[in-house]
Amino acid sequence: MPEALLETVALSRRFGGLLAVDAVDFQVERGAIHGLIGPNGAGKTTLLNLIAGALPVTRGRLRFRGTDITRWDAARRAHDGIRRTFQNLKLFAEMTALGNASLGLHGGTRSGIFAALARTPGQRREERAIAQTARRALEFVGLAAQTDVVAAKLPYGHRRLLEIARAIVAQPALLLLDEPAAGLNQTEAANLSGLIRRIREQGTTIVLVEHHMDVVMTVCDTVTVLNYGRKLAQGTPAEIQRSPEVIEAYLGSAHALA
Amino acid sequence: MESALLRRIITGVVLAGLFLLPVFEPHQFVLHMLSLVAISATVALGLQLLLGFSGQLSIGQAAFYGIGAYASGLLSTKLGLPFPLAFLAAGLIAALTSLLMVPVTRLTGAYLAVATLGFSILVYLVLKNEEWLTGGSFGLMGIPRASLFGYVLAKPAYAYLLCVSVAALVYLSLLRLERSRFGRAINAIRQNEDAARACGVKVTLLKSQCFVIAAFVAGLGGSLYAHQVRYLAPTDFTFWKSVEILIMVVIGGMGSLFGAVLGAAVVVLLPEALREVGDYRMLVFGAILMAVMLFGESGLAGFLGQCLKPFSKR
Repeated sequence: MPEALLETVALSRRFGGLLAVDAVDFQVERGAIHGLIGPNGAGKTTLLNLIAGALPVTRGRLRFRGTDITRWDAARRAHDGIRRTFQNLKLFAEMTALGNASLGLHGGTRSGIFAALARTPGQRREERAIAQTARRALEFVGLAAQTDVVAAKLPYGHRRLLEIARAIVAQPALLLLDEPAAGLNQTEAANLSGLIRRIREQGTTIVLVEHHMDVVMTVCDTVTVLNYGRKLAQGTPAEIQRSPEVIEAYLGSAHALA
Repeated sequence: MESALLRRIITGVVLAGLFLLPVFEPHQFVLHMLSLVAISATVALGLQLLLGFSGQLSIGQAAFYGIGAYASGLLSTKLGLPFPLAFLAAGLIAALTSLLMVPVTRLTGAYLAVATLGFSILVYLVLKNEEWLTGGSFGLMGIPRASLFGYVLAKPAYAYLLCVSVAALVYLSLLRLERSRFGRAINAIRQNEDAARACGVKVTLLKSQCFVIAAFVAGLGGSLYAHQVRYLAPTDFTFWKSVEILIMVVIGGMGSLFGAVLGAAVVVLLPEALREVGDYRMLVFGAILMAVMLFGESGLAGFLGQCLKPFSKR
């Protein structure tokens, strides 16, 4: 069996009396688009936050590329190739789209205070490279025309895309998408599915938390279902759709709607 | 590109005007006041980086200003250090002291403000009570004028040029920082700390660096002040001074380096201009502050920007 890109071992997170994530063993294969679904409050976003380092782990371990990263902070994980988007958009509202995308390259670049003060040739070269790479990421997600627009002035769908651009601009090994289709219309959601596939083609492995079943079922290779913080099932989208316990816990109502 | 060029031209013209001013306005008192504006602007620019860029509210900048002033004064009176060395040492000592603030950078908003205020009070008490070092309430007297390469800047015009040069250098340096990877990152921290972290920004480190830079710059300003006024008293560096520096940044316009300079000019010159009002001048000053804030959050710089907009857009 090939080594998983990301592996959680009995990962738990407690909030007061609530075990939001309860001893979850979760593996993401390299190159996969791995869906993470479950009813509201199942612990999907908490699990994502634990992987991203936004929350400390209560118990259990996290391994990324075979290295134990349980104690790493969020910045170090981002630097090392784990990037994420946020369910309720966290853009740098006063910055342009280009500025937001440029920030995504902070982790992989180096120029510090003294280089900036001296405007060293290396610093200027790096600045040019940052702008160029950021522009390419904006093009990639379809925001080429919005490069110089301030983030707060972008329409909602574009802001969602900008978050993705910021997260993928450094070509991370692992991308965590937290409900990227929330609030999008059918056309936008379909475009998003295409975009997610194109991101994978670039060599990025994806974990996708999503309520939008069309998106999950069309793009994911593997789906993990969480319920009450525990792993309920894992399989291909087809298997998950047929699994009686999943249907009972979650998809039953979704099927009726679809 | 065009507006960037326009901005460069304006900056160049303003700087040239400031440097040539002593030729047209050789009045001693005016030059002294403008030197004080440049000194305050230097300190305010440091706080602009800290507050306007990185979003950290400090009401303790007078502490670093005072440390710089006393460091420079003591090094030149007691050890006879030449001005350029005392000047740099003042900045470095203030910056070193600011490392004491590293633990409080974890705080935000009102909590951070009170912590910095506490620090300011501590420094004031040290300046006032450690008489063996600072001269206590009597103050520190006999500080020599600034000198460069053995040449004493005795004329007010030369002292003025020194202060303006330092302020301009700090301004241009911070402008470079603002438009760099570091500047983007600290702006990101202000706008959304979680997102900044998710981009790989080491939030605590960068926040601390902002404190150190602001303190270094305040220390330089303090040194200029020491050699300009040549007498230091602890009462120059009370809580009120910290508030003044904060007012400069806020009425000038948060996030605008130019605004910090404008704010410094207003806070230093307005009470002077209001001297005729006599006892009521601080009352009028307060009312004017309120009126300026009613114009909007972007302060004087934002107001000026609105006025200039029709010209810069074509």
